[in-house]
Amino acid sequence: MRLKHSLFTRRQFLNGLLGGWLGVLAGLFLYPVLKFIFPPEREPEQVLLPLADYGSLEAGAIKNFAWGRKPGMLKKTAGGELIAFVSVCTHLDCNVAYLPDKKKFFCACHEGWYDENGVNIGGPPPKPLRRLAVTTEGENLVIKPEGAA
Amino acid sequence: MNIKGAVRATWAWLDDRLGVRTVTDFLKHKPIPRNRHTPWMYTGSLVLVFFGIQVLTGIMLAFYYRPTLEEANKSIGEIMTKVPLGWIIRSVHSWSATFMIAIVFIHLLGIWVLKSYRKPREMTWMSGVLLLVFTLAFGFTGYLLPWDALSLAATKVGTDIPRSIPLIGAWGTRFLRGGEDISGDTLSRFFSFHVSVLPLCLLAALALHVYLIQKLGMSLPVGADEEAEARRAIPFWPNFVYREAIVWLVFAGVLVTIAVFLPPTLGKAADLMAPAPEGIKPEWYFLFLFQTLKVFPAKILFITGDTVAVLLILLAAALFFFLPLLDNKPAGRKGKIITILAFLLVVYAVAMSIWSLQTPSKPEADKIVPAPQNIKESTAIYVFLGGIWLSVAVLTYLLRLKIKETDRLLHVGYFSSDRR
Repeated sequence: MRLKHSLFTRRQFLNGLLGGWLGVLAGLFLYPVLKFIFPPEREPEQVLLPLADYGSLEAGAIKNFAWGRKPGMLKKTAGGELIAFVSVCTHLDCNVAYLPDKKKFFCACHEGWYDENGVNIGGPPPKPLRRLAVTTEGENLVIKPEGAA
Repeated sequence: MNIKGAVRATWAWLDDRLGVRTVTDFLKHKPIPRNRHTPWMYTGSLVLVFFGIQVLTGIMLAFYYRPTLEEANKSIGEIMTKVPLGWIIRSVHSWSATFMIAIVFIHLLGIWVLKSYRKPREMTWMSGVLLLVFTLAFGFTGYLLPWDALSLAATKVGTDIPRSIPLIGAWGTRFLRGGEDISGDTLSRFFSFHVSVLPLCLLAALALHVYLIQKLGMSLPVGADEEAEARRAIPFWPNFVYREAIVWLVFAGVLVTIAVFLPPTLGKAADLMAPAPEGIKPEWYFLFLFQTLKVFPAKILFITGDTVAVLLILLAAALFFFLPLLDNKPAGRKGKIITILAFLLVVYAVAMSIWSLQTPSKPEADKIVPAPQNIKESTAIYVFLGGIWLSVAVLTYLLRLKIKETDRLLHVGYFSSDRR
């Protein structure tokens, strides 16, 4: 059955409406499923490191800590300043190592090199290592994402 | 490019290689009888729908569940409190299990009362009994996985039952437990049963069951006039599917609604050395067996009561499995005794279950009671439920229009094979 100026039949209209609505319902069910499957990634707001353990670094030395589920490294520069990195290669997410004799960060996965300030200097890494902000608060060093208040 | 033409060409390409048309043609001509017993025929596909929901939600829960002694209870707790909407997914899994088993029982009762298992459908019945066993095993193994006091106690009792069987019983208990006692190995084993062994077994039995149903066709009630039934029957596709779809939708809505408002709780992690909690009970579908075991005296003559009870239950299960061979009258004959037997069995199961519920169970202290985590989440959930019920209403209306349309087409002979 088709009305005089209609582009489609009653059957097509009904099928379209039914199919479309079923599609919407499927989407309605898909949403919570996706919510469940992809939980929000929680990056730590801050990590506290006791000064007693971490404050006494020698210049140029490195100490590891956990930045959430990623490794972090705390380093004392030659100038005596404390800096922190997320020690994960910016190329393909491998954990990097610090080679004290070469004074460089090295990623073994694809031979990526970073200098002692975490700047990419050789191999495939496209960006410097991610820096974290370090401040001192009482007995602790406070590590925060850079730019966070 | 013409989209319609492309779709048609792709379909033709696939059909050439896969032979899809053989299947669709078969479904278009598979007659579904239309009489006062037709409602029973919705139960089978409904079980399948709930099984599908179990598979999907089960896979999702397994993404976060960790089947070890230290982490099992903790990981379920995290699913219920940390993973977004995890408590609802677990609740749907739990409630869908209940729905599935309830409808399996109803399905079975329908087949029994209608005597649909008679020649040539004996093996359909037997594969169905296997499916029932696997379904109950799913429930039993799944009950241990949250690893709280209740599930530990239920599993202790359940896995001890085989021991009462002479000769092979002790071996059965060791097989289920992975040792003399329940331990972390039992948990790993039950997880393996629940997510890999049982699904494979169930799918195999299901394939046989569904194949036989297609091969033998739907049964007619005892004493039906075959010609009149054939004239009244409707094709499975599309006329019957539209009717079934309404039932699926309504049940999906009910399931999700109940799951949101009555989520299962989680007790503290089970302690292998702690005494069993007072008034423990298994899941409702095992209550009648549980109570049967309870009422048997410790000693009957010179054998232990448990042994007698378990052997009686096994005998009943065997009789049940071989029912089509015991009641092997021709399909057209009535079977009053069998019908009465079904009725008595239902009365027995219901009475025993109610009796078993008379022992009050103590509500457990400090358990996790799931709820929406914030006002945003609860609002979203209410909007979601509203959307579902609106969809159910609209789709039911549209499906009824489709039913009318396809019935009219059937009536004027649009679907008949000589038309093509």
